[in-house]
Amino acid sequence: MKIFLLICWRNLWRHRRRSLIVISSVAIGIFAMMLSMGILNGVYYQAIDNNINIALGHVSVQAKGFRDSMTLRNSFVPDETLNRALAALGGKSKGYAPRLKMQGMLNSSESSKGVIIVGVDPARERNVSHIRSYISGPDSGTFLPDAESNHICISRDVAEKLDVVPGDSIVVMVQDKNDEMVGVGMTVSGLFQTPIDSINQFTAFVGIRRLQEMIGAGDSISEINIALKNRDRADETKAVIAKAVRDPSLAVLTWKEMAPYLVSSIMVVDAMMYVSFGIIFITIVFSIANTLIMAIMERFHEIGVMKAIGTRPSWIFSMILFESVNLGMIGLVAGIVISWIVIGILSKVGINFSFHFEAVRAFGSGAVIYPIMRWTDVAAGGVIVMLTTVMAALYPARKGARIEALEAITFI
Amino acid sequence: MEIIEVRDVIKNYENNGLTVAAVQGVTMRIRQGEFSAIAGPSGSGKTTLLNLIGGLDRPSSGSITVGGSELSGMTPKELADLRLRRIGFVFQAYNLIPVLTARENVEYILLLQGVEREERERRSAAILNEVGLGNEIDRLPKEMSGGQQQRVAVARAIVSEPSIVLADEPTANLDQKTGEALIDLMHRLNREKKITFLFSTHDKMVMERAERLVRLTDGKISQDRAEKPKGGTKSKSASVRVGFKPHPNRSRN
Repeated sequence: MKIFLLICWRNLWRHRRRSLIVISSVAIGIFAMMLSMGILNGVYYQAIDNNINIALGHVSVQAKGFRDSMTLRNSFVPDETLNRALAALGGKSKGYAPRLKMQGMLNSSESSKGVIIVGVDPARERNVSHIRSYISGPDSGTFLPDAESNHICISRDVAEKLDVVPGDSIVVMVQDKNDEMVGVGMTVSGLFQTPIDSINQFTAFVGIRRLQEMIGAGDSISEINIALKNRDRADETKAVIAKAVRDPSLAVLTWKEMAPYLVSSIMVVDAMMYVSFGIIFITIVFSIANTLIMAIMERFHEIGVMKAIGTRPSWIFSMILFESVNLGMIGLVAGIVISWIVIGILSKVGINFSFHFEAVRAFGSGAVIYPIMRWTDVAAGGVIVMLTTVMAALYPARKGARIEALEAITFI
Repeated sequence: MEIIEVRDVIKNYENNGLTVAAVQGVTMRIRQGEFSAIAGPSGSGKTTLLNLIGGLDRPSSGSITVGGSELSGMTPKELADLRLRRIGFVFQAYNLIPVLTARENVEYILLLQGVEREERERRSAAILNEVGLGNEIDRLPKEMSGGQQQRVAVARAIVSEPSIVLADEPTANLDQKTGEALIDLMHRLNREKKITFLFSTHDKMVMERAERLVRLTDGKISQDRAEKPKGGTKSKSASVRVGFKPHPNRSRN
């Protein structure tokens, strides 16, 4: 077998430049695929992380139906069993925090704006949400001081709409437990600007105790958000919590269930990308096939001799197929190595897409994208290259296998 | 005992609508262990006859039996197996696989036969040593002289210990001295290993050295005579090993 492999391998280097051109085309194709997939992965994973870190958490315990109707009716008071189960997560979780969410209206002397009022406990929220990190700049103020204070933290977009700055007062209007509208004046503590457009447009944070007091909700909350150290353990954690939840009206959801559009859009875009790369690689099929046909024509006499001395057609077929796969695999490895180096660097320094920020903001990924190289993409590249090279070799290999020994050895 | 039996073989080719009769009703028998030559001028049909015997071509009519196997009923795969296991080929233009070294070229045949690696390496090194190329086994064909390449081709042809070696004008590309040494080598292998050699040639030296000479004229046997091997006594191993002219373009250190 060694000699068979040697023939295939050495044949590749008989026309070094020609082989290198084919290998380069495969390598460049793979690099282009890995880089564009890497950027897309970066966009999506950053969007997922931002959504998890600002809004969703990895796992959430909430009343069934809360996501359809964000009212006080869909709230609950966590019992001891749930609290114990959450505490038992220990080192697996970074923390968990209660939130009370409801629709409300913010009014200033200039304007008004409908938002989701999110009651949070700032001390516990610190371990669950990154919202504090999005309050930056000298005029941005600070996050809420505590859960009872009469402060509100709004986005820069909302502040602009209401024409307020930190320290100004606005009126917060929400529906209380009796479905009566209540309005309370609050001081703007700080302004945030997250990468997620919907958070910036429609979210305001207040102290959870203050909100409960305003609407007479007692200890009711809308959800408990759990932040994990490892995103991939969401399903496992969900199962543990779900086992501890006795109240049948409660649901335990992972971030995938809370943001199904993110997951499905990643899958759709992945599939589309793989199909388009498959199409791009069809052009490489012709390049490889052309190279192989030229190689066979040049080795017409030699293949005839091989057949004359007893080589079976199936060997000739396999030899040409293997040469093609070799070409592709060398290109694949070269492409992966180049991708690994380039994406490795870009994943540290990032690519600034601020020139096209509107497009990336829709995904909530932020302006600087850090590409990610996934093993699934490498495997997909391997499959695409393998299929490409086998497809490219079929016709030349069949042609080679059918060479008539006598015709070939008398060919000058 | 006959190893090759050619009976009433006719081979016609179509060429631009014209029928060319390359072999016209040849009947001959070659016995096991013969050292024979088919001679004749260009176009006499000697290479065609050799190709027919080697199963590389099929006769228009008549029958050819090699080692008791009738070739006409064989499939291409069976013919490939016959060539692999029972017939060794030596071509005019050496026709070694250029990307393989001398040893790998010889080993290739054994690989096709499914011989284990260690056995392959042992046998190929031994046979190359036997043809006087023990120090050249790792050279590529392009690094060897024509005579050396042809000796590798002979080693390749006999490594699997075939019953017959068919050699198509093996000395045509060699100078006189190298050609003589090659024939010495083949003759020695013929005597020592009892391998049947059948040449096609128009080289007088080969004709003189053949034990039997079959002359073809216009595709027909015009003469078939057994000759005493003149110079067969020349085939001493020492003369085989030193009798090759170095390749003019090759420098040795």
